[in-house]
Amino acid sequence: MLFNSAQFFVFLPVVMVLFYAAPRAARKYILLAASYFFYMSWNPRFVPLLLSLTAIDYASALWIAGCTEPRRKKLFLALSLSANLGFLGFFKYYNFLTGNLTRLLHLPPESLALAIVLPLGISFHTFQSISYVVDVYRGELQPIRNPIDYALFISFFPQLVAGPIVRAREFFEDFYHWKPPETEECLRGILLVLLGLTKKMVLADQFAQISDSYFQNLATHPGAAAAWKGTGSFALQIFFDFSGYTDMAIGMALLLGFHFPVNFRRPYLAFSITDFWHRWHISLSRWLRDYLYIPLGGNRHGKVMTYRNLMLTMLLGGLWHGASWNFIIWGGYHGMLLSLERMFGRERFQEPPRMPVYIFRAVLTFGLVSIGWVFFRAANLTDSLYVLRQMFTAGHFPSSVFIPPWLGWLVVASVLIALLEEKLEWIDRLSRGPAWAYVIAVVVLLFCVELVGVTEKAVPFVYFQF
Amino acid sequence: MKESMRRAVLILLGSLLGYAALEGLIFHNLYASIIRPDSSAGNVETFIDNELRRARTDANQVLGIGDSRLQGALTPRVANQLRSETGYTFANISTAGSTPRCWYYMLRDVDPAANRYSAIVISVDSYDDAETWEDFADRQTDLHYMIARLRLSDLFEFSGSYHDPQRKWEAFRGILVKGLVYKQDFQHFLLRPALRLAYVKQSRRESVHWFYDYVGSAEDMQGVEVDFAAHTLKIPPDRLAQKPGYEEAFLNPLPPYTGRRGAYLRYWLGKIQARYRGSGTRLVFLRFPRGPVVRPDQPPVIAHSSVRDLAAYPEVTLLPEHFFDSLERPELFLDQLHLNRTGSDQFSAMLAREMRELLGPPR
Repeated sequence: MLFNSAQFFVFLPVVMVLFYAAPRAARKYILLAASYFFYMSWNPRFVPLLLSLTAIDYASALWIAGCTEPRRKKLFLALSLSANLGFLGFFKYYNFLTGNLTRLLHLPPESLALAIVLPLGISFHTFQSISYVVDVYRGELQPIRNPIDYALFISFFPQLVAGPIVRAREFFEDFYHWKPPETEECLRGILLVLLGLTKKMVLADQFAQISDSYFQNLATHPGAAAAWKGTGSFALQIFFDFSGYTDMAIGMALLLGFHFPVNFRRPYLAFSITDFWHRWHISLSRWLRDYLYIPLGGNRHGKVMTYRNLMLTMLLGGLWHGASWNFIIWGGYHGMLLSLERMFGRERFQEPPRMPVYIFRAVLTFGLVSIGWVFFRAANLTDSLYVLRQMFTAGHFPSSVFIPPWLGWLVVASVLIALLEEKLEWIDRLSRGPAWAYVIAVVVLLFCVELVGVTEKAVPFVYFQF
Repeated sequence: MKESMRRAVLILLGSLLGYAALEGLIFHNLYASIIRPDSSAGNVETFIDNELRRARTDANQVLGIGDSRLQGALTPRVANQLRSETGYTFANISTAGSTPRCWYYMLRDVDPAANRYSAIVISVDSYDDAETWEDFADRQTDLHYMIARLRLSDLFEFSGSYHDPQRKWEAFRGILVKGLVYKQDFQHFLLRPALRLAYVKQSRRESVHWFYDYVGSAEDMQGVEVDFAAHTLKIPPDRLAQKPGYEEAFLNPLPPYTGRRGAYLRYWLGKIQARYRGSGTRLVFLRFPRGPVVRPDQPPVIAHSSVRDLAAYPEVTLLPEHFFDSLERPELFLDQLHLNRTGSDQFSAMLAREMRELLGPPR
């Protein structure tokens, strides 16, 4: 059941009605049942896995909190981490590791491979579980006593499959002090759901057609212009796709009285790679910082160690996205850029420059990020290197390299909207402003979905594969 | 429900209402007049619009409706040249790619009171409900052809007439939110609005003549030889591109009889017949000439096929099944399906005279 499918738009109102019609004490059961129904609509076979991880982490946290002896605490933490990383490792990385092993040992390529189906959202809910258990271990969080409450935290359907990666502290703050959303929050929630849907169906799916046609037939699109068009389209696709999903998740949560953290803050307006990572997939960046970069030592042990920690964090962040050398290189590329920026002065890349320089740096950053996306999108390393070579090879500019004019106008409109949001926070203003302005915004978004959106089929979200 | 939630719901309902009103105004009303004239929906609109604007001097009108074969074969210009002899005026709203489901809705709009015509000529492939490999009930393009004509009251019947649930859903949401179906046309319109409006205006002014004065192609099928026994085709070099079409028409096995096609025709032709029951308009079915050569393995004769059963109604007439057999010659066909210029001229004249025989002297 995709967020952009007709079934989901039956599911969501039904859940909302049941949630608000039920007595308060019953609401968490409704949300839990809805979340498991949502999960099962993908593949019911993985419910035992989700339940097992939930049970292990729930129990581990209680055991950790109940221990006074540090060694036993560590043991329970290790149990939880092993379970989470073990399952994640098996489902996500087994074939990658054995594939590399067979290549090293000159064995037949598929001799150790298994037909493994990746459980939906495993990368997201394991990270969420790990953060919970580690927070309890660090004494920053009290363990959750009620297993239903904990199960809901892990399986809550708006963020189950592709985040944002919500911290237990944030979730339970809302959960235990639940208040019905205010009018502005409801309106903001609805607008975010609709905005997310528009980003996905109108922009991401349209750009997906351009990038797919390039990356699936590289040989038929030679030249730098085609390579930049395909890569640039993917850059736009993945942003609108993922931020669209996140907007919908945040909007749905808001309608149910939960406040998810911001996950994107107009990343393509970033003026440096450092700034980009403060704006892109913020909940993952935050997780990597708090549970990987800082435990590794962060920037506390000199420059060399800082660069090493940055590289390690980004390499693992890349690997988190997918089991392939492409993702590792993508992570390493960003780690390298971040390290370089550190080398040339951190402040320079954290403070926004003045206007004409800002535009130049934003365009440069977009270009650098787009180069990284090549590894993210291309089928394998050979294709990635081919595309990179094409990007920097002088070539002809056939008329087919231009995107349809109306799509170009949509991009211009998106940039303007992003700038307006950056400066004026129009989504908040609309939710608080006069009803007529809100009505106009909703009508415009609905017409965009109707007339420009890809409605022939529900295209899966890119991040669902992670 | 808390007050804040209620207010939010009210604003949301207002938004949806505003959207529905605008969508209704634009795509359920205004947009039909600026559809690209050469699109599928535009074709239907052009034919219906031209027919509604056609000046009728008397009540002796005969209308043809069918797919591309009757569109090319029934030439009103030729049939009307015989008006002094027949007393009847012919018009044709046959549309390439249309199906009996489309014909029902086209007739409903071109003849709202079911009293404009002395006769309506409907062309069918066979009087025996010959099966097709394609399930016509699931033909997606029908929605696109008919989108400007479909009303909210058609929502359940039209979408329900598809078998495939996905097609049903597409039709349902398409009738409800027509912009979804007009999407490509609208995007095309946005590229060059002024050009579109000029084209629509020109089509509205001149398309009557484009169609009325059209003379068919002079090409023919001479030189294409089919050896049914050896299962081989001999095709002139300049026609090799058409080979797959010829093979399908002459050599490929016929679909087995399942009754699926019959049920489909019975439903939609039956609905047309029901509209004209007791109306004074005669519904005349004809079997279109089968092809430049007739394959020996014809579909089985079905005594109670859809059209044969319809013939039991007083307002329905079937032209003799073999009435147009004399036209089934390579020199009269443009390809494996369509009559050429000479074939069309002969067809139109034969039909005009036969209609005079059938309907008697004009009123």
